[in-house]
Amino acid sequence: MSEQSKDVCDPNFAAEASNSEVCGSPGVPGGPPAPASQAATLAGLDSPPPGPSDAPPASPPPQPPSDEDDPKALQQAAEEGCAHQAPSAAQPGPAPPAPAQLVQKAHELMWYVLVKDQKRMIIWFPDMVKDVIGSYKKWCRSILRRTSVILARVFGLHLRLTSLHTMEFSLVKALEPEELERVALSNRMPMTGLLLMILSLIYVKGRGARESAVWNVLRILGLRPWKKHSTFGDVRKLITEEFVQQHYLKYQRVPHVEPPEYEFFWGPRANREITKMQIMEFLARVFKKDPQAWPSRYREALEEARALREAAPPVPCPRNSVSED
Amino acid sequence: MFTAKYMHIYSKEDKEQHSFTMQGSTRRTGIMTDVHRRFLQLLMTHGVLEEWDVKRLQKHCYKVHDCNAPVEKLEDFINNINSVLESLYIEIKKGVTEDDGRPIYALVNLATTPISKMASDFAENELDLFRKALELIIDSETGFASSTNILNMVDQLKGKKMRKKEAEQVLQKFVQSRWLTEKEGEFTLHTRAILEMEQHIRETYPDAVKMCNICHSLLIQGQSCETCGIRMHSPCVAKYFKSNAEPRCPNCNDYWPHDIPEVFDPDKDREAGLSKSNRKSLRSRQLL
Repeated sequence: MSEQSKDVCDPNFAAEASNSEVCGSPGVPGGPPAPASQAATLAGLDSPPPGPSDAPPASPPPQPPSDEDDPKALQQAAEEGCAHQAPSAAQPGPAPPAPAQLVQKAHELMWYVLVKDQKRMIIWFPDMVKDVIGSYKKWCRSILRRTSVILARVFGLHLRLTSLHTMEFSLVKALEPEELERVALSNRMPMTGLLLMILSLIYVKGRGARESAVWNVLRILGLRPWKKHSTFGDVRKLITEEFVQQHYLKYQRVPHVEPPEYEFFWGPRANREITKMQIMEFLARVFKKDPQAWPSRYREALEEARALREAAPPVPCPRNSVSED
Repeated sequence: MFTAKYMHIYSKEDKEQHSFTMQGSTRRTGIMTDVHRRFLQLLMTHGVLEEWDVKRLQKHCYKVHDCNAPVEKLEDFINNINSVLESLYIEIKKGVTEDDGRPIYALVNLATTPISKMASDFAENELDLFRKALELIIDSETGFASSTNILNMVDQLKGKKMRKKEAEQVLQKFVQSRWLTEKEGEFTLHTRAILEMEQHIRETYPDAVKMCNICHSLLIQGQSCETCGIRMHSPCVAKYFKSNAEPRCPNCNDYWPHDIPEVFDPDKDREAGLSKSNRKSLRSRQLL
């Protein structure tokens, strides 16, 4: 990472970044929030089709689900996806497949969704149809429903349509409490570096960092809002949603600016877990400079370190879950 | 009927923990509580985990959901979950790394052929590159295929023409997805890939695959007897010849010519790891 930062390699890091705000385009605001009812639908089905361990015979014929449970939006989405048949008047229509085949498709879809989520890739409905459902498009609704039930019962995950507009699904944990559990295993996340990069930008600027500025910095790492990354996946989602949900960042609209722009601030968890001195050390490492090259920030970091030492003498260095290993 | 009996298990609310024993078919009586669900979620998130991490994960899940319940023995815990996963054609599989004998666990899909499992993530020519690399690895003496040899296959790939530069990146994609492991410019199968693909590999390359004389499973890397040619995984060698001053080939009784490795000791390994990290600067591990 440090090798790529040659062009932004000095204390004018802040200045550079703020210059680029002017020419950068504002980030697109996060996807439309899914109406709460959509979540309920997929998980809360009270009369699920027979559990996955059952033999096929009792499975329901591919009929539309009871409409009180499905919000219109989901139905439309599924229908849109499923309805791309070319029904010709001459054909009587394909025979419904054996229930066992639908069950198998549901299992394939379940794995597909799990793997996509594991790789932090976007679960896109048209991809689901293309890669898994294939010729069973007409029954995709029932397949989807069965998959959701299995995911909920076995994994405790909700397959939720998060954006009707982009037809994206995501797997949401249904269990409480929600924590950053990767940290529970002290996983060496490359996210740490990404997060520190953003936090240090905010710190150096001394105020919120516009989304455009953040992207200019991430560009150095070869990250773009529209490109999926092999490690990070959907970077934009990661920084505007996940890090925010985990309280490492705050992502807020800049007031009185049209068209809308957003900026990042340190989140409460970052304040608790990450010290300014750690940020200075990070900057020093990345830009191969002495931390004192950012004199006022360094002074702040020193003061904070002193305050921390005085507050809790027995703890020599603050331990935190992000950098701990 | 059949349906109704099992509907009851699945429609009960999650908070309850019901242990359900039935005469004769314990296989279907999976106990799925939030503890198990969270465990599965996290195992899936990580893809592949070492045994020590798995134990910690299990404890973490108990702590979060059910502090008072005794932590079940890992083997039973996993068998319980697997009994539920069976009908979904997935399984928590336990394996052992071929180089240093670490026990690892992964959630694997048993249903489809492994190459098609990767199909939605990789293009046709990328899948073919993997196939070629796999063949080179299986045919090699060491279990490693050199980057050069793999890249030389680019002209033979199906699908869109791939340049060597691209192929290098695709190989890195395989490493990141944990299908391959790289060591000094050479590639071998990641333990996770061996776990998932063993069946497929044995069926597809029945003549070319090597097997371990001790554990009788697929062998990619290992030691071999120079007289009769039988092969053994390094961790299998370690266990078989443990505290044996004069190791001899189990097949032809000739003197075993290789270094006998140490049996993997999880406690020693953790200590070594911890002391290493105290000495190493914490910073260098934070970098991307």
